Amino acid sequence: MSKFSDDILMAFADGELDEATRQAVQQAMRSDPAIAAAVARHQALRSDVFGAYAGTLDEAVPQRLQLAASAPKVVQLDAVRAARQHKTEPRRWAWPEWGAIAATLVLGVAAGSIGVQGLQGDTQLALVAGKDGALMARGKLAKALSAQLASAAPAQGQVRIGLSFVSKQGSYCRSFMLAGAAGLACRDGDEWKIPVLAESAQGAPGDYRQAGSALPPAVLEAIDQRIAGAALDAKAEQAAQRGGWRR
Amino acid sequence: MTFNAAPIHADIAALLPRLRRFARTITYHREDADDLVQVAVERALMRSEQWEAGTRLDSWIFRIMKNAWIDEIRTRVRRDHLFAPEAEGEHVGDDYAEAHQQRMAIQKAISLLSEDHRIVIGLVLVDGLPYKEAAEVLEIPMGTLTSRLARAREALQGLLSDQTRSLP
Repeated sequence: MSKFSDDILMAFADGELDEATRQAVQQAMRSDPAIAAAVARHQALRSDVFGAYAGTLDEAVPQRLQLAASAPKVVQLDAVRAARQHKTEPRRWAWPEWGAIAATLVLGVAAGSIGVQGLQGDTQLALVAGKDGALMARGKLAKALSAQLASAAPAQGQVRIGLSFVSKQGSYCRSFMLAGAAGLACRDGDEWKIPVLAESAQGAPGDYRQAGSALPPAVLEAIDQRIAGAALDAKAEQAAQRGGWRR
Repeated sequence: MTFNAAPIHADIAALLPRLRRFARTITYHREDADDLVQVAVERALMRSEQWEAGTRLDSWIFRIMKNAWIDEIRTRVRRDHLFAPEAEGEHVGDDYAEAHQQRMAIQKAISLLSEDHRIVIGLVLVDGLPYKEAAEVLEIPMGTLTSRLARAREALQGLLSDQTRSLP
C-alpha cells in the first residue's frame, strides 16, 4: 500500500512519531487516500475505545476506595468499621496477603529469627513467645501498654498507643506501634497477649508523628473482629488504666 | 526508609478515578474492578518504600494492578472459577441512546479480547499512556509493546465488525 507499515500509521494516530516521520506520514495521507483511511481507522478506534470508558472518570469514587487510599487515622476507626459493616457484599475474592504476612512476621518473631524488615531491635526485645505459642508483650512494650495513654506523644523509638477498646471476650485491647511494626494487644490475666502484629508501611522508624496515624489493614481487621461497641474515649481509657486493665 | 508517607496517599487518592477506569477495562465486572483497585492501592501503600520518587507513580500502580489481576486470573483458572465475560450490553434496554449502545458494544468487544490485549488497550487507548510508559508497566521492550498493541487493535477491530455484521 505504501512505504509506511501499519505500525507506523498506528503510532501516528497515537501521537508517538518523531516530528520528521510525522510530517512524512501527513504528506502521504494527502496524496494517498488509502493511507488517510488507515490512519482515520486507527484514530476512530482510539477515540471510540476512550469514549467507551470515559464515563468512569465522572463516577463518584466508592468510599471504601477512598478509605483504602487514605491512611486510616485512628480517630476514624469507627467510621472505617461502620463502612465495613454497611458493605452489602463481601469481597468476591480473598487475597491471603495480609493474613499471610502477619503470620510470617509472628512466626519470625516467635522463632527468634528476626530477618523481617521493620522488626528489629526494639520489637524483638518487646515480645516473647508464651507457653502456648502466643506472643506476649514484654519490656517497654508491656510497660507502655499498661501505663501509657493514647494522648501521650512518645519520643522517637518509643511505643505509641493507638486506641483502646473492650473486646467481645470482655477484655481490654489496645493497638500499638513500635519500630515499623503495628499490632494489637489484648489483656490476658496480668499480661498482654499480641494476637496480631504486622509490618507498618507508614511507620518509618523515628517518624513517630506519622507512625501513629496509620494502622496496617491486618491490624484494623483484627480490631474489627474483636471490638465490642465503640473505642474508649480518653476518660474511659484513663479509668481502665487506673483499674489495671482488669474488668 | 526515606519516603514521606503523607504525599503518596494524596497522590494515590488523586489517581483513583483513573485506576478505576483501567480496572474497568481489564476486568469483567464492576465489582471485580473496584476490588482490584482496592487491592492495588493496599499493595501500593504497603510497598510504598519500593516506589522510587521521581518515577511515575501511575505507571507503578498500574503495574501492581496488572500483576494482581494476572494472579487473580491464574487462581480462578486453577479453581475453575473463570466465568465467561458478562455480556453487559445484552441487558441494556432498547430505549438507550445509540451512543450508549456503541459504548456497550465496545466494552463487550474488549471483554472478549485476551488478557494481554485488554491490558495493552487499557493502558494506551483508554488511559492514554505513552508507549514508553505502557512498556514499562508491562515490563516489555518497546517493540513488543507496539506489536502487541497492533495485534490487539486488529483483534478488537475484528470483533467490532463481527458485531456489526451480526446485527439484525
